[in-house]
Amino acid sequence: MSFVHAFRQQLRLNAFWAPRRCLATQSSPAAAQAKADSGSASSSPKSGEPAVAKSSCAENTVLVGVNYLKGQPEVLAMPDEAYPPWLWTLLQPKEIPDDGPGGKGEKIRLRKANRQRIRDQNFMKTQ
Amino acid sequence: MSKAALNAKAQIIRLLVPAGKAAPSPPVGPALGARGVKSMDFCKEFNARTAHIEPGIPVPTLITVQPDRSFSFVTKTPPTAYFLKKAAGIEKGTGRPGHEVVGTVSLKHIYEIAKIKATDQHLKHLRLEAIASTVVGTAKTLGIQVVP
Repeated sequence: MSFVHAFRQQLRLNAFWAPRRCLATQSSPAAAQAKADSGSASSSPKSGEPAVAKSSCAENTVLVGVNYLKGQPEVLAMPDEAYPPWLWTLLQPKEIPDDGPGGKGEKIRLRKANRQRIRDQNFMKTQ
Repeated sequence: MSKAALNAKAQIIRLLVPAGKAAPSPPVGPALGARGVKSMDFCKEFNARTAHIEPGIPVPTLITVQPDRSFSFVTKTPPTAYFLKKAAGIEKGTGRPGHEVVGTVSLKHIYEIAKIKATDQHLKHLRLEAIASTVVGTAKTLGIQVVP
């Protein structure tokens, strides 16, 4: 990549993160770039592709402790497909939706940033 | 307001009692006796109500004592931490959560534990997905790693 290309890319990124005066939503230049790059290179995934790669817990493993009732038979793990699809996304970080300025996503992001700033300030006071 | 009206408040006691094994002096006796409740009555009724649970499993109960010394109590499902420790095969959680990992548990365990907790009265309005994420949070504080 030439220096000029990298410089222009940096300028676009900086311009994006500057406070916006227009209300129209803008797709991030990095995301647009990535989409343009990947669209030509890789094919889109098949619609029937399972979201979970492989669970570490094989079918019919005994789940210890779940049978807390008297005389309850042992609870066995079911095959991966028997579990709801949201289960496999539990460990991924929560995605905050981007509904543009004034939406719920902005509120969540601002509050998160505020709380982190307070934590950092409190930490710096101990130093 | 008269003094009688001021004293007419129901007392609430929260206890963690092993299922089917109530009536020991140390935890249950003084806590109830101080409020004027006959511990034998409570223990008999508690053991009857938890007869369907494996004995020894801790059961959180909420006892409401009325001013006239009558009482009623509600039992809930065992603590999430108890289930997680059993599933991971450990006795105690870590003293340094986030830094130390003392056990591992699969997402399938989390699902089954969430299914049990969903039968609780104070959780039945939540989606199973939401309950499962709270179970994952408890695992984090215990130092138990959750793998898919």
